[in-house]
Amino acid sequence: MSRLMNPDLSRRRFLAGAVGGSCIMGLGLALPGCSPRGAVESLAAARPDATFAPSLWYEIDGTGATHIFITKAEMGQHVGTALARIVAEELGAAWSQVRITHVDSHPKWGAMVTGGSWSVHTSFKALSQAGAAGRQLLQAAGAAHLGVPVEACTVAEGQVSAGGKSVSFGTLVSAGLPEAELSAEALDALPLKAPEARQLLGKSVAALDIPAKSAGEAVYGLDATLPNMVYAVPLLPPTRYGSVLTRLEDGTAGSVPGFLQTLRIDDPSETIQGWGLVIAESLPAAWKAAEKVNAEWTPGPTAAVDEAAILAEGTRLADDPGEGVRVVDHGEIDSVLAGATRTLSAHYRTASALHFTLEPQNALAHFDEAGHCHIHGGNQWQSLILPVLSKALGLGESDITLHQYALGGGYGRRLFGDQMIPAALAARALGRPVKLVLNRDQDSRFDCVRSPSVCRFDAALDAAGDVLGIDHGVAAGWPTLSMAPGFLAPGLNDSGRFDSFSVSGADHWYTLPAHRVRAINNPLAQKTFLPGWLRAVGPGWIGWGVESFMDELAQAQGVDPIDFRLARLDGAGTNGGDGPANEGGALRLRAVLETVRERSGWGRSLPKGSGLGVAVAHGQERGMPTWTACVAEVAVAGDAVSVKKLWQVIDVGTVIDPGGARAQAEGAMLWGLSLALHEGTAFEAGQVRDRNLDRYTPLRMKDVPELDIHFAESTAFPSGLGEPPLIAVAPAIGNAIFAATGKRVRDLPIRLS
Amino acid sequence: MTEFMLNGTPVSSASPDDTPLLWVLRDELDLKGTKFGCGIAQCGACTVHLDGTPTRACVLPVSAVAGRQVTTIEGLASDAGEALKAAWVSEQVPQCGYCQSGQLMTAAALLEANPSPSDDEIVNAMNGNLCRCMAYGRIKAAVKVAAGRGEGQA
Ligand code: FES
Ligand code: FES
Repeated sequence: MSRLMNPDLSRRRFLAGAVGGSCIMGLGLALPGCSPRGAVESLAAARPDATFAPSLWYEIDGTGATHIFITKAEMGQHVGTALARIVAEELGAAWSQVRITHVDSHPKWGAMVTGGSWSVHTSFKALSQAGAAGRQLLQAAGAAHLGVPVEACTVAEGQVSAGGKSVSFGTLVSAGLPEAELSAEALDALPLKAPEARQLLGKSVAALDIPAKSAGEAVYGLDATLPNMVYAVPLLPPTRYGSVLTRLEDGTAGSVPGFLQTLRIDDPSETIQGWGLVIAESLPAAWKAAEKVNAEWTPGPTAAVDEAAILAEGTRLADDPGEGVRVVDHGEIDSVLAGATRTLSAHYRTASALHFTLEPQNALAHFDEAGHCHIHGGNQWQSLILPVLSKALGLGESDITLHQYALGGGYGRRLFGDQMIPAALAARALGRPVKLVLNRDQDSRFDCVRSPSVCRFDAALDAAGDVLGIDHGVAAGWPTLSMAPGFLAPGLNDSGRFDSFSVSGADHWYTLPAHRVRAINNPLAQKTFLPGWLRAVGPGWIGWGVESFMDELAQAQGVDPIDFRLARLDGAGTNGGDGPANEGGALRLRAVLETVRERSGWGRSLPKGSGLGVAVAHGQERGMPTWTACVAEVAVAGDAVSVKKLWQVIDVGTVIDPGGARAQAEGAMLWGLSLALHEGTAFEAGQVRDRNLDRYTPLRMKDVPELDIHFAESTAFPSGLGEPPLIAVAPAIGNAIFAATGKRVRDLPIRLS
Repeated sequence: MTEFMLNGTPVSSASPDDTPLLWVLRDELDLKGTKFGCGIAQCGACTVHLDGTPTRACVLPVSAVAGRQVTTIEGLASDAGEALKAAWVSEQVPQCGYCQSGQLMTAAALLEANPSPSDDEIVNAMNGNLCRCMAYGRIKAAVKVAAGRGEGQA
């Protein structure tokens, strides 16, 4: 799946482009007419404005500064720093001379998406190769400059050196480097540094985005302005879909200074339905006027839908073994269940949850004199919204540019830039730049909510309580079905197409004699709201059921929950891994579980009302696993659960930046805790009920437990970190509550009352 | 017309009296460092100092600051403020960064009133500032570093 959404960077043409150079040069090999002597002679004048751009991904200027182009969105993961380090490592650039630029959308960048914790994983090889290619060119030019053989030269810290002499990248670039073009094969053949030779990767680094963010100087989408712009605030319909704006009049809004007009939004892409806008010279004026206009709707068909109805529909579907696209299916589970001595069944459910990015959704849209549409705002998936904007505006995708900003929180909300549509339609209608801003209540109503979900488990046990097989039905609204249906994946045996993001995690690494996973779309969820990808996506809620039910099975067999898991993490067959990204397979999960057992002092006695619980997770996808094991220590007093400490051991392969990795793990673990105990809402009358901080209450500083985070030493291919450490936290807490009280919790968020 | 001192300089706002200070700062006076999160005084992203006291600009009418001193992140230059900004970098605090102006303003007011707060005092002072990225551990550590009583954790 990830491959579908990401450009295969390695196949992208390695661009030529040395300013002022005219020789075509194979790597390290001078072609006729481009002798080393010629290169030396051309070093005459330094030219700070010269540029050497041996790759699409970076250029070096005449001062030696290396400018690295970042196509990924910065939303707190310091992605620009991580990706720049990969380039700089192989290039041999001086880190102090590295600059990053978050680029605007352009076809030359290929698919643009930031999510799934994929950024480092999917960029690592191509960026390493791009850096290595540049190094080889600079090394050749440096050797010529120094009058020594290429093999005698080393490249590091922005210098090519040999025998006590050296020349800087800046000098070489000023002199003009030959152009080069590399085939994919040549790129693949480039030698990359051995892990032990790395200078930058694996060492903590000061993130390049942090100083501005520590001084109030980072620029977010909400901060963007243009001359002559007006502000727009929406009048949201009673339902996401199907409501018709039947009346839109100024009412008494004319009495508000700065009020300009109301505007009806008709979106040919049908993404935005039933919206009106209030336009004013300032945001406060627009909000004040919005209270004075007259707007009425014929509500859409889901105006009466509530959370209970969505969950009931999910339960009905998950309970039917005939329902669902087959995602895992081996071992004849129907007959195993029918013949079992004993069965164990359970429902696990999760409630609606919000992204609640602290920066509310906004967009600034503008048409230039040539009719080109410019949209300013933070976005995670430019390639997803561009075709939608193209349809909404009747423009070619090349007539629209998305200008990137820092994201005041992404967590998956900004994968869909749907708020850009009304901003752009309004900018065209008004002939002025339009800045559209949702207030907090509207941001929540317009969220792509994490769908309420139901997992149904049926396990077949033998007389000793050993597990013979599990049937698992997974029912929820599917983000991919609404937003990117082309990415639905085919199920087994022509059983249909499914949203892999809404079932991932059910395909776990435990070896079971029989196992079936049924991916079920909940149609009532699908038509009531736009289901979204929320940090950790499917595994973020599926892991809740999978790992809690594992504990129930351990309990049924009377076996320690860690021993129970270890016995099934044997790496048999495909559970041993089937590619470089998941090499080792379940044995790596086993290793992190064993480590967390030691670190947490598993098995020690605790005061009454306290308990330890465990859970594991494999990150976002089997094809790109991050292996995690978590232990939670909780104390329960009456209905109150307090989490005392969380341990997590993480095997993410090569750690690019230990400090940054820890920051991601800390944030993700606290997200897991917040979703387990502090967050969660419900649909009521077709809308989410809890829309601002008076009712939707993410974790605060006083709720933070002690964290013990440990990364496994590894030189394996790097995986992702923004999401995986979230997954095992909730089930570890639920299992700890069971250990403390004997009470099994099956609904998220956890409420003991 | 409201006149007040902003970061040590006299300014005037032509916005209606009931306009929240936040929008006067951001859109009329073009200081974008103060952020909008919730609009109901519950997240702290819009925290500024009003005569030295941390105050939520999203619910404060501009008329209420007439003749008073307003300090925003752009003007945070006290010793405590400088120490905090440096600690925010050394502890690598920000993730998305959107809450951090407000976090810094709240922390600066704390340290200006109480130069060596205990852990509990830090948590009590900072608890009203939501960090959606949940960078809480580093925020707390950095406040301690700025107060000269913490070893960093980053
Ligand atoms: S925006 Fe003022 S407290 Fe949230
Ligand atoms: S750093 Fe993102 S909200 Fe605090």
